[in-house]
Amino acid sequence: MRAEEREKKVAIKQENIQPSGAESLLNRKVIEERDTTYRIVSKNVSEYHFIVPFDLSEEERVEVGQIFSIKDQGLTFLARAVNIEHSSNYDGHWDTTMKGTQFFDSDQIFNRVSAEPLGCINRKLEFKKSRTLPTKFAPVARAEREEFRFLSQVMGDIEVGYLRNGSRLVEEIQVALHSEVMDHHMGVFATTGMGKSNFMKVFAASCMRLAARGQSKFGLLIVDPHGEYLKGKGPVKGLTHLKRYREGLACYSTNRQNASDPGVEELAISESEIFPEDIALLYEWSPPQRDALEAVSRIFDPASWLEEIKSPEGMVRMMQEGFKDSTVNVLVRRIKNELERNPYIRKRSSLANILANLQKGKVVLVDIPRMSDRSELFLLSVISRYILDEYKKDEKEGGESRKNCLITIEEAQRVLGSGSNISRFESIAREGRKFGVGLCAITQQPKLIDKQLLSQFNTLVVMGLGDRNDRRQLEESAKQDLTSMDIEIQTLEKGEAVVSTLNIPFPVPARIHRYEDYLRRLDKEDKQESLIARGGFKPFLD
Amino acid sequence: MKIIHLSDSHLGFSSYSRLDEVGRNRIEEMVYSGFEQAIERIIELRPDAVVHAGDVFHHVRPKIKPLVVFQRGLLKLMEEDIPIIIISGNHDAPKSFSSTSPFRLFEDLRGVHIAHRYRYERFAAGDSYFHCIPFCLEPQDYLAEFEKIERQGRDVLVMHGLAESLANRKMRSVGEHELSDSFLKSDFDYIALGHFHGQAQLSRNAWYSGSVEYFNFGESQDRKGMLLVDLETGRAENVPVKPQYMVDHPPIDCSGMLSEEIGQCLLELCHEDEIRDKMVRITLKNVNRAAYRSIDQGRLNRLGASALYFKIRPLFLDEEEHFERSIDRRTLHEEFSGYMEEKSTQELIPAKTKDDVVAYGSEIMKKAVLARHKEALDAS
Ligand SMILES: Nc1ncnc2c1ncn2[C@@H]1O[C@H](COP(=O)(O)OP(=O)(O)O)[C@@H](O)[C@H]1O
Ligand SMILES: [Mg+2]
Repeated sequence: MRAEEREKKVAIKQENIQPSGAESLLNRKVIEERDTTYRIVSKNVSEYHFIVPFDLSEEERVEVGQIFSIKDQGLTFLARAVNIEHSSNYDGHWDTTMKGTQFFDSDQIFNRVSAEPLGCINRKLEFKKSRTLPTKFAPVARAEREEFRFLSQVMGDIEVGYLRNGSRLVEEIQVALHSEVMDHHMGVFATTGMGKSNFMKVFAASCMRLAARGQSKFGLLIVDPHGEYLKGKGPVKGLTHLKRYREGLACYSTNRQNASDPGVEELAISESEIFPEDIALLYEWSPPQRDALEAVSRIFDPASWLEEIKSPEGMVRMMQEGFKDSTVNVLVRRIKNELERNPYIRKRSSLANILANLQKGKVVLVDIPRMSDRSELFLLSVISRYILDEYKKDEKEGGESRKNCLITIEEAQRVLGSGSNISRFESIAREGRKFGVGLCAITQQPKLIDKQLLSQFNTLVVMGLGDRNDRRQLEESAKQDLTSMDIEIQTLEKGEAVVSTLNIPFPVPARIHRYEDYLRRLDKEDKQESLIARGGFKPFLD
Repeated sequence: MKIIHLSDSHLGFSSYSRLDEVGRNRIEEMVYSGFEQAIERIIELRPDAVVHAGDVFHHVRPKIKPLVVFQRGLLKLMEEDIPIIIISGNHDAPKSFSSTSPFRLFEDLRGVHIAHRYRYERFAAGDSYFHCIPFCLEPQDYLAEFEKIERQGRDVLVMHGLAESLANRKMRSVGEHELSDSFLKSDFDYIALGHFHGQAQLSRNAWYSGSVEYFNFGESQDRKGMLLVDLETGRAENVPVKPQYMVDHPPIDCSGMLSEEIGQCLLELCHEDEIRDKMVRITLKNVNRAAYRSIDQGRLNRLGASALYFKIRPLFLDEEEHFERSIDRRTLHEEFSGYMEEKSTQELIPAKTKDDVVAYGSEIMKKAVLARHKEALDAS
């Protein structure tokens, strides 16, 4: 045997893997490296072990996160590699004793892979959790698209990427979330730069497609403080570039340049839509100031309080209520400041349009670039309160035609943190579902999100998370068990994700589409499906 | 610079109504005279320009009379050297490139600028530029046409359609000729809108002038007239042309009333002088059918004799919830063809016969429904 050939072949001792026939005991069988069929050797219903050659080539190496299939009398068990360790047939440590530059007995050493059972596919191609374990020495192979086919049936309608097995793509299997669960909350978690924004754009693009086809089941609100979703930047594309499904998108902007586009409405909020609680978000207040602010809605007419409090009569009334003029002055000055600084506060209001578009199931993008953190929260607060209130009203009046809605919050740790007292978002988080309003929290620091709240998230899109505490927080509160995926999550690369959601039986490894690639694909889709006309346009019969 | 903004003249609109002494439809004539009064008023006010934001004519192929009335109006303005900017609307724009627009007749008149070619056109008048986007054939065309606009320093936008926010507010059904609010840019000096028949301000600079006339009872509460706009200050001021002539009485609850009492109620609301030349509708709710039938019909007819249009709308106790349901064009002939389909699958009718009957029958039904719609007092 020539040297390079020898290197390509790996010997595994037959006794370990071949139960039948004494004669074969003597026949040591050499397994071709390309033949990646291994055998289950142990261990129990919650953990399977199999062994693989210790010196597999780059191509064949087993990685944590890979999914293997175990064929066993018509059943196919699926298991995910959670750990790999060095092992040998010998007790003690002499397997690693060096003999010159060679191992003492390379035939006796191998790697042991521990895998976590995902479930079992029966003859009818149904996937079930498994209450048993595969027969000892059942063959194990890297799962291929055939074994994953059943997944296609449990996927939803919002395509976000392809199935991934380890770092390999399984392009035939799309990973798609379910519209039906979108009034439950959703979370997108990743360290900066790992692809949160890219994910959101892909998600939004799929929603636009549904909306333009008249198949959307919920409206998606994205308030974008970074100005990256509307038109993108340089080679990075924005949502308006998806011309093919532009009907499914409604845009609003505070930025002059962006709002000069005829398809982008200048964002406007009217004074009567602003409540004292919104102003409260804007500054740090001393206790007397806070008291004064809280008293405002009692003292003035809620529809015109902003106007009234600025007038001399308003001042007098506040003082009659026992507030010091210095306190009221600060209040009024800050309010005036805010109104002046935000030219989008006008007579007109975009909120009714935003709501109507959400209820039609469109993607609504509110573009607010270069706004301070607090101003952004203020705006988000005004908009989401309006939406929640209107959905509540609708619920009472039994509005049937309206679609649910999902409100996206960037840097969600700011408002959904444990101990954060921004009640607006808490109330959406706690009671929104009743009225068809869900939250989509995007954050790079899940560890700061309230644990109890996190446990109500039904859909998690987890991308690379370097911080152990972030991972632990997710693992401890996720609905599906993520603990065994810790190493995988830690090592996810840009654009790779683990998607855990209802209706899909186990957390699915995915590669999220690169938005620009997805865009190109969608734009090429044929026009045959009937698009709903914008706003139901129909020329009059005369 | 001051302009007059008007829209939705709907010349040629007629509705089932009484005829005048020479046999003309009284409502149709009223619409012509309203337009003439508007022109008179404009000439008195001497604006630097006039903008008509769509639906000059009620029909794509107007009869001769509305063309003449319109031409006479234009000539008067020309005599006074008042330029007029006009766009086509959903009523007077042909729905395909192949038919000829009635506005072709007036294109070469001095000081008359008409955008009616389904594309953006810009006209200068006084020190301002009028960016006109007329009726377009496809909704996405509006976006493309709007993109052609280049601001000139003093800019007026003219468009026709139901603004999204108004549609939301008015809870109007979809299926209207809708315009996205994203067109209402704040950097225009003024935005002159047409299509909605009530006077309404949408934002600091965007207005519907509303129509001069009332075209259905849904408009009874609308403010009517034209707008006098100062382009320097942005101030827009209502210019009434006619006194309010539509009266839609709040429903009268007739529970338990006998025919005599109902008749008495009606009589009180219909003093001859109060309803003279007005459009009047009286709604009676919870009416006992028998009681209503036994009211002297001749008396009912005489009741509204002096009115321009008079309608009593009884909502009967036993069918109240069905009453207002309008005839859905689609449903009627769809229902018909569904029925025929069923019979044919039961092999009661041969397929060929079914196809013929469905084709012919649907056509007739569509016509009948359309005719009925035209008859009703309505122009949206
Ligand atoms: N699924 C993906 N495939 C390829 N490239 C990606 C993917 N997701 C993100 N990227 C790239 O990574 C960079 C950072 O992504 P971004 O979505 O902005 O991250 P984040 O919002 O988490 O900070 C971008 O340049 C983007 O093009
Ligand atoms: Mg980002």
